Amino acid sequence: MQLKARLRLASSLLLTASSLVVSTEARAQVAEFDTTHTVYYEAPFRTNMFVYSPSTDLKVTPVDALTVNAGWEADVVSGASVAVKAGPAYQATHPAADVVTTASVHDFRNVAHGGFTLRKDTVTFDANYAYSTEHDYKSHAISAGAQTDLFEHNTQLAINYARNFDFVCDRTQAAQDPPARYAALENSDGCFSSGQNPLRKTDDIAIDGLQGSWSQSWTPTIATQLIYTAQITNGFQADPYRSVIIGEGIKAQEHVPENRAREALAARVNFFLRPLKAALRIGGRVYWDTWDVKSGTADAELEKYFGERFRAEVKGRFYHQSGALFWSDDYSGGNSPLGPKGQYWTGDRELSPFSSVLVGLGATYAVTPEKRILGIMSGFKFSLSLDALQFIYDDYTLGGSEVSSSRAYIANLSLAFIF
Amino acid sequence: MRISRPLWKTLFLAGFTIAAATPCTSCVTVRPQERAVLADPTMQFEGDPQASAPLNHAIENREGSYGGSGVSGGGCGCN
Repeated sequence: MQLKARLRLASSLLLTASSLVVSTEARAQVAEFDTTHTVYYEAPFRTNMFVYSPSTDLKVTPVDALTVNAGWEADVVSGASVAVKAGPAYQATHPAADVVTTASVHDFRNVAHGGFTLRKDTVTFDANYAYSTEHDYKSHAISAGAQTDLFEHNTQLAINYARNFDFVCDRTQAAQDPPARYAALENSDGCFSSGQNPLRKTDDIAIDGLQGSWSQSWTPTIATQLIYTAQITNGFQADPYRSVIIGEGIKAQEHVPENRAREALAARVNFFLRPLKAALRIGGRVYWDTWDVKSGTADAELEKYFGERFRAEVKGRFYHQSGALFWSDDYSGGNSPLGPKGQYWTGDRELSPFSSVLVGLGATYAVTPEKRILGIMSGFKFSLSLDALQFIYDDYTLGGSEVSSSRAYIANLSLAFIF
Repeated sequence: MRISRPLWKTLFLAGFTIAAATPCTSCVTVRPQERAVLADPTMQFEGDPQASAPLNHAIENREGSYGGSGVSGGGCGCN
């Protein structure tokens, strides 16, 4: 029922925006309709994940000073993930048993969002709201931003703030039990049922994000951008379904700190190579947080025109991160870096030290004719991309077995129609 | 919640750097008639948000880092 209500909300948002389109077209003004369809697939050792993500967005500009947007997106998730994580030391002392277990995952995430942008002279303000729901997670997200152009539009300064009010389903634990005796959530049955299931409770997550950026045009073919991002998360941040073996015969639900402050500094430079009729985009990012995860990212993209309408893109990205301070591949024992790490434990491979390499190809066909197509459409765009993402885990294992075939494929189809 | 000192320090440094660098940018002038290439879709820092958002969403759910591209939120979808 809740899902139907959210779909009705999304539909009403689109309907409202559609009615704006009708009035907009009547006055020969601008609207843009986008739809994207993305497939994510990975099947590393013992687990797998398939996600189909459709989305639609509508932007309407009834007057120059105002743009209104509304949209819907979804994630249809199925696969299998690790339910009980153990490491090599525990597996070595239990050679006859399979100490790692997996569980099937099925979920359906819906997001409805809307917002507006106001423009006056060289200043732009925007505000957006998004509501997201899935069986075990709900989110209300608001964001607001301002941007100004300076020095004949050669300099842009922007600032954005976002706040999430999120809720995650969790298993009720016995009041006297310490975290080392917490049981993991078995499934999402009874989640958000207003106390009807005594074994279910709701935990809060508050997320504050702040971002400032400075974009600069230096020459007619070179532009740079510097971005600083800070985010503070407070609340339940573990995977409620996952348990970790933390001692002989003891498995406990993941237990991680409630607070996390995250910061990132990114720089990008875009060059247009006139002889090649291509844009070269190079970027780098450093990241650090209070869980002691530090990372560095370098990426490059080359996008070349073939004629006026068609362009092709090739991209590459390298990423490396250190593990969280409390991450261990085996909390039950073993020599360093294995062994317990204080009061917290996690089986999350995203908190382990690892590298990733991404390579991708893309193509875009964009048409903006002088005359309107069918009398109403002033242009359309068709984009297709395929990316492969390889993960190389330094220490993460499943019971001592390396995670082989840890490679994800992401395919994306995007269509845009401008009226 | 109390914000740690290093975060404030970084915020101050970031603000100071931008404030100090902004006057230097006033002497850089790309005239309006020279901006055609800079306005090309291939030269936009945001790229094509519709096409890049799903890839960024997948990457953020598979890596321990965040930021440097946007601050908007909207749920998890990251089992």
